[in-house]
Amino acid sequence: MRILLVEDERKVADIIARGLKAERYAVDISPDGQNGWEMAEAYNYDLIILDLMLPGLSGSEVLERVRRKNQEVPILILTARDGMADKIKNFESGADDYLTKPFAFAELLVRVKALLRRGPVNRSSVLRVGDLEIDRLSQNVKRAGKKIELTSKEFSLLEYLATHPGRVFSRTMIIEHVWDQSFQGLTNIVDVYVRHLRAKVDDAFPVKLLRTVRGVGYSLTDGTQT
Amino acid sequence: MNARSISFRLVAWYAGLLTGIFLLLCALLYLDLRHFLENDLRESQSRRTRQIANTLLAHVGQTGEAYVASQTKDWYEPEINDRFIRITRADGALVYVSGAPKDGSFAPAEVPLFPPSPKTEFSSKLKLSGGNTLLVAALNFKSSGNPGYLVESGALLDPVESMLDHLFLQLALGLPLAVIIITVGGYLLVRRALTPVEQITRKAEQITQHNLSERLPVAHTGDELERLSHSLNRMIARLDDAFQNSKRFVADASHELRTPLTILRGELENLNDDAGLKPQVRDQLGSMLEEVERLSKIVEQLFALSRLDAGEAQTEWTRFDLAELAKTTAEQMNLLAEDKGITISCDADRKVPVAGDRARLKQVVVNLLDNAIKYTPEKGSIQLRVHPVNGHAVLEVEDNGIGIPREALPHVFERFYRVDQTRSGDSGSAGLGLSIVKSICTAHGAEVEAISIPTLGSRFLVKLPLSSNTSHS
Repeated sequence: MRILLVEDERKVADIIARGLKAERYAVDISPDGQNGWEMAEAYNYDLIILDLMLPGLSGSEVLERVRRKNQEVPILILTARDGMADKIKNFESGADDYLTKPFAFAELLVRVKALLRRGPVNRSSVLRVGDLEIDRLSQNVKRAGKKIELTSKEFSLLEYLATHPGRVFSRTMIIEHVWDQSFQGLTNIVDVYVRHLRAKVDDAFPVKLLRTVRGVGYSLTDGTQT
Repeated sequence: MNARSISFRLVAWYAGLLTGIFLLLCALLYLDLRHFLENDLRESQSRRTRQIANTLLAHVGQTGEAYVASQTKDWYEPEINDRFIRITRADGALVYVSGAPKDGSFAPAEVPLFPPSPKTEFSSKLKLSGGNTLLVAALNFKSSGNPGYLVESGALLDPVESMLDHLFLQLALGLPLAVIIITVGGYLLVRRALTPVEQITRKAEQITQHNLSERLPVAHTGDELERLSHSLNRMIARLDDAFQNSKRFVADASHELRTPLTILRGELENLNDDAGLKPQVRDQLGSMLEEVERLSKIVEQLFALSRLDAGEAQTEWTRFDLAELAKTTAEQMNLLAEDKGITISCDADRKVPVAGDRARLKQVVVNLLDNAIKYTPEKGSIQLRVHPVNGHAVLEVEDNGIGIPREALPHVFERFYRVDQTRSGDSGSAGLGLSIVKSICTAHGAEVEAISIPTLGSRFLVKLPLSSNTSHS
C-alpha cells in the first residue's frame, strides 16, 4: 500500500509519515501542489492525503486535476479551514473524506484504514474483545457469558470502541461518531458515559477492558495489555 | 409632531419671532397714526382760533361784536364744514356760536363752556350726548381796550376714530392670517430641507454589524447635508474596515494556530506511545495533551464564531419542530445532569415549528443546558420549556443554580467573559459557549437574553420567529 502525502508543513508531514510507516504503509511526501500533482500522475497511489493550503497549486486545484485523470484513488483532505461551504465544495469536486487540523493521529489512521477498505473494519455481526461479546444485530452485550444491560448510547459507545480494539479514540472522534457535531466542545459528556459504561462492563470483573489514556482518549482492550 | 424635533422648534421660533415683530410694528403704526391724526386736527382748530382772534377780535373795538360774528360766519361757514365755532365774552355773554352742522351730528348749544382758565391756549375732547366726540381748541384773547374773549373751535373726532378702527380691524384680521401663512410655509420649507435627514436617520437605524457594507442615501444638494451624508458614509466605511479586520484577524489567528497545534499533538502522542515511559513522565505528557486539546477546543470555537460573524452561507435551512429538538437534546444530556444529581424537566409538548440550521440550533440547546448544568449545584433542577408566544418560538432554560451577579449580566454573552473564579471553576471552558449561542441566534434573527437572581438561579430566553408553512421551503 503506497500513500502520497501532499503537505507543505514539514513537521506535520514528518509526524504523519512516521505514524503511517509504523503501520507498515509506504509513504511519499510532496511539499507543494505542482510537485504533488506530478507525483500523483506519475504513480498509481492507493491513497492521497492532501493538504488544502499549499504553495504553488492549491489543494483544491490538485484535487480537481487528479479527479479529472483518476476517478478511483481515494483522497483524504487535510485542512485548517472547516467552513461548511469549503467542505461541500471539496466533496463535490471528489474528496472522499475530510479531516480538520488539529487532529489526533489515531483519527487519521482510522480514516485512512476505512478509505483503504482494509484493516479491522469488522463487519461481522458479533464483535469479540477479550471475554466481551457485542451482538450488533440484537444489541445484546455479554461478558463472560453474563448479559449486561446497556442504554442505546452506551451501546453505541461500546460498539464504536470495539470496532478497533486497542486503538485509542479521542473524545472528539467519539463525539462525532456517537453523538453529533452539536455536542462538539462538550467532551465531558464522553467522560460521564465512559464512567457509566465502566461501571457496567468492568466493575464486576478483575480484568479491566476500558482503558483511559490521559490527554488522548479511551480504548477498549482485550485485557492482555497493561 | 414631536415637540423636540428640529422642524418643530425651528418653525416655532421663527413664527414666534415674526409674530412678535409684527405685533410690535402694528402697535407702533396704530399708535403713531392716531397721535398724528389727532394732533393734526387739534392744530388746525388752534390755528382757526388764532386766526379769529388776530384778524377779527383784535379790531373789535372799532368794528363791534356783531361784525365779528357775521364775519366769522361768512369766512368759516362752520355749518357747511361740520365745525363748531363759539366766541364768548369774558363776562359770559355769547358773541357768536355756529349753527347746527349740516349732518346734525351735534348741537352747538349743548357744548359745555370751558371753565375759566389762566392758560392762553388749551384744548379738550368732549364726549357729546349723541355719542360723538368733539375735539375743541380754545384761546383766551386779551388785549387793552376790550373785555377779553374766549374763542373756541371744534371738529368731530369721529372720522379719525372710524378710520383708526378700520385700520385696527384690518391689522387684527391680517396678523393671524399672516402668522398662519408664515407657520405653514415655514413648516413646509423646513420639512423639505430636513427630508434627507429623515432618510439618513432611517437608513442609519438599519445599519448593524451585519450590513456594514450598505451606505446611507446621499442628498445631491451640494449643501451641508450632502457633506454630512458623505462623512457619515466614510465613517461607516472605516467601521466596516475595522470590523472586517478584526474578523479576519480572529479567522486568521485561529487558522494559523492549527498547524502548530497539529504538530504539538502529533509529537506528544508519539512520545506517549513509547511503552517504556516512567508513569510520572506519562502523566506529564497526558497533562500536556489535555492542554493541547483545550487549546484546540478554543481555536475551534473561535473559528466557529468568526464564521458565524462572517455570515457563513446559510446551509441546510430546514423547517423542524423546536420542541422535539429540545426534548431529544435534553434526553441526550440527561446523563450529564444525573451525574450531578440534577433533574432536567422538559415542558415541550406542543409543536413549535421554526426554520433554521438544525445542527446549529441544537448547539444552542446543548450550550444552554451545559451552562445550566455547570452552574447548578448538586441536587438542583433545570427546567427546559419550549412554547409559542405571539408568533415567536420561545425556548427557556431555567435553573436554580448560583445565578449571575447583576453587574455581570450584560456581559455574559461576550467572548471570553467570565463572571468570576467560582463560575469558571475547573470546567475548562474558555467562556465562549454563550457567545456562540448569541452568534447563532443573531444569524437566525433570534434574540437571546439572560435573567438572573444571584443564589436563586438564572433563566435564559431564546426568541425565534415561528415558521409559517409558506416560508423556507
